[in-house]
Amino acid sequence: MENENVILTSQSDEQTYSAFRYGLGAVLAFFGFSSKTHSASSKRKKLVGDIVTYIVLLFGAFLMVYPFWWMLAGSFAYTQDAGTSNLFNQMIWWPAYTVTDEGKNPFHNYIWLFTEGFTPAYGLPGKRGGNFFESYSYWRALFNNLIYSIVPVVIGVITSASAAFAFAKINWIGRNQVFFFLLAAIMVPGPSIMITQYVMYSAAMLNWQQNGLVLIIPGMFGSIMTAFFIRQFLFGLPTSIIEAAKIDGAGYFRIFCSFILPLAMPAIMAQGLLSFMGCWNNYMGSYIMIPRSSTWINLPHAMYLLDSRRDTDKAPIIAASVLCVLPVMILFACFQKLIIGSLMLTGSKE
Amino acid sequence: MEENITAVAGEAAGTAEPAIAEQALPQKKKRKPINQQKLQDNIWGWAFCLPLIIGTVWFVYIAFVMALLLSFTGYRTGSTTPLLEYLFSMGEHLYTGYNDPNTLEIEKIGGAFGWYAQIFLQTTATDASLRADGIVLNEMGAYMFNTVFYLIGIPIGMVLSVFFAVCMSRDIKGGNVFRVLYYLPCVASTVAIVYTFKIMFKPQGVINSLFGLTNVEIGGSIGGFKWLPIAPDIGYSWNDLTGGTGGSAFMRDPFWCQGIFSKLVIITLSVWKGLGGTIILYVAGLSGVNAATKEAAQIDGANGWQIFWKVTMPDLYPVIFYNVVTAVIGGMQIYMEPELLMGGENVLTSGYVSLIYRYGITDKNAGGGAAYGMFLAVIIFALTLFQFWLDSRNKD
Repeated sequence: MENENVILTSQSDEQTYSAFRYGLGAVLAFFGFSSKTHSASSKRKKLVGDIVTYIVLLFGAFLMVYPFWWMLAGSFAYTQDAGTSNLFNQMIWWPAYTVTDEGKNPFHNYIWLFTEGFTPAYGLPGKRGGNFFESYSYWRALFNNLIYSIVPVVIGVITSASAAFAFAKINWIGRNQVFFFLLAAIMVPGPSIMITQYVMYSAAMLNWQQNGLVLIIPGMFGSIMTAFFIRQFLFGLPTSIIEAAKIDGAGYFRIFCSFILPLAMPAIMAQGLLSFMGCWNNYMGSYIMIPRSSTWINLPHAMYLLDSRRDTDKAPIIAASVLCVLPVMILFACFQKLIIGSLMLTGSKE
Repeated sequence: MEENITAVAGEAAGTAEPAIAEQALPQKKKRKPINQQKLQDNIWGWAFCLPLIIGTVWFVYIAFVMALLLSFTGYRTGSTTPLLEYLFSMGEHLYTGYNDPNTLEIEKIGGAFGWYAQIFLQTTATDASLRADGIVLNEMGAYMFNTVFYLIGIPIGMVLSVFFAVCMSRDIKGGNVFRVLYYLPCVASTVAIVYTFKIMFKPQGVINSLFGLTNVEIGGSIGGFKWLPIAPDIGYSWNDLTGGTGGSAFMRDPFWCQGIFSKLVIITLSVWKGLGGTIILYVAGLSGVNAATKEAAQIDGANGWQIFWKVTMPDLYPVIFYNVVTAVIGGMQIYMEPELLMGGENVLTSGYVSLIYRYGITDKNAGGGAAYGMFLAVIIFALTLFQFWLDSRNKD
């Protein structure tokens, strides 16, 4: 109770409070609220405020994390018949009937996905029993996902960064006009040109659908939003470096490769990681553009096809969800400082 | 002689200081020397931008123009006629659906605008018995109602994220950990999240056991409350909930009852998934709030609530405005969540984009899909303009 300051005001002789009122004031002051009888110390106010904040934030964090815990726990459930799948639907913390209860390997659901789940036998594309390139398997889904999220992202981020360099540091005729012309493109909503793009990529024109190029080539041209954010970052770099390099006889290409790319690496990395995550989770691109008969569908699309074939046996689908979420989570955990820092930087600059 | 001097001077001054070289020369007889530095600037400026320009023009602008042209034609998706060839002879291929005897009388008036007429005239019914009784909804209206209903998530998410952001920007230990935890749903795959939520919202699932809804009697059957309909056309109506037997479309159509419950699930999902991203933007915005103003207000005797509304909120306004504009644009394009959660397109939950997909790809009418897409673009553009208008009025 030493934190509390009991104030006996000068009018205390005239204004007497009832014992109840006085006690209430003491209790309130203990919890950090000032009243007429007692005023709480600012230290106590801060302490109580912090405790309340922690409780609120912990509750919110629980809501944010709980579905992931549910997902992880659910991936160990056994759901191959009606009774167990009903039990699985009621799961709260841990499945009532796990794969170990069935006498199987604890990672049975995962092993099932690796060995037979993602095969043509369960509605996925390709030739039954074919090799890696003819048929579909979990490893093929992983391979497709990696291709779709590494090739276009790496090349796309470099092309975006080069455009950002030109917009931020080179003075050329038409620079602002071109910038606003490109920026205006974000006003065109994706779904309204979706059908035209579908027709454009289809067999009669570019033929990029059956072979998955549709998720690779358009991304390699970079994106205006990435360029915009890197441009914001480049504005913060001193132009004198570039001037010095020019005097020493370096061309713009050399300047870009040996000065801009290393100096803007934090921004480039952050944007690259964000678009990597976007491409990894790009269900819609694969679902719309790549026919389900092609072995070039990506992992989320394959999960959708598997789910539509498994009416009640959902635990393997949840295991596949874990496998789909885990790589991105690990990546995010490793680079969270960079990503959140970049989001905050670009966000505050808007 | 003069020219020689120009060349020499230009070279001597090199790339560093062309301005001095120009000043040193007599202005009259100058034949405008090519400034090497400026030439380099222009060549490299364009060269560095070229990939981005090509990509944007090709995949966005040309696609947009082609979509606009396509929307007046009857082009079939997957047709063997190349698109460009088809569009060059567009005059011969204008939409002729109105010659079809099955087409509505009023749709024939549309002519080449037939697809656009269809957007406003096509009707739908949630199930067969209602259709038999003539209880139908305007298709675009129903899907647009769903889309706009999902926008309710924006104010909810905004209030929650400002609240959490204010909590996080207190001077407490471990604020960063919370920021990371709250951002986790944003990086997770929507497909994975939807499949998890789908089971959590089952009649006997976690959510119902939390709210005590695992054993309720609705519409004559006892069981868990069904947030999601078993099949797109089987769901609760108001009559089932209230036990009434009213005959009006509103009472009998599950669209107005089951549809709302199912949409609430999707709103929960999208608020939960989007919270982290906006929290980070608000935390960034809050760190930019002027600490001196805050302190001055404190000294003047303002309490926390007053400081929040009078000092913090005005400084946070640009961030909020940016968030709302992008959220509305993104929200109007909702597609994946309802489709995945319900296992396919349905009038109860699907957003407007589902119509584009259905007409353009499932029904293979590229022209129809393009027309529906153009309508969406117009709506989104109008909504964005409206928000900017509100913003400009606010400032005066």
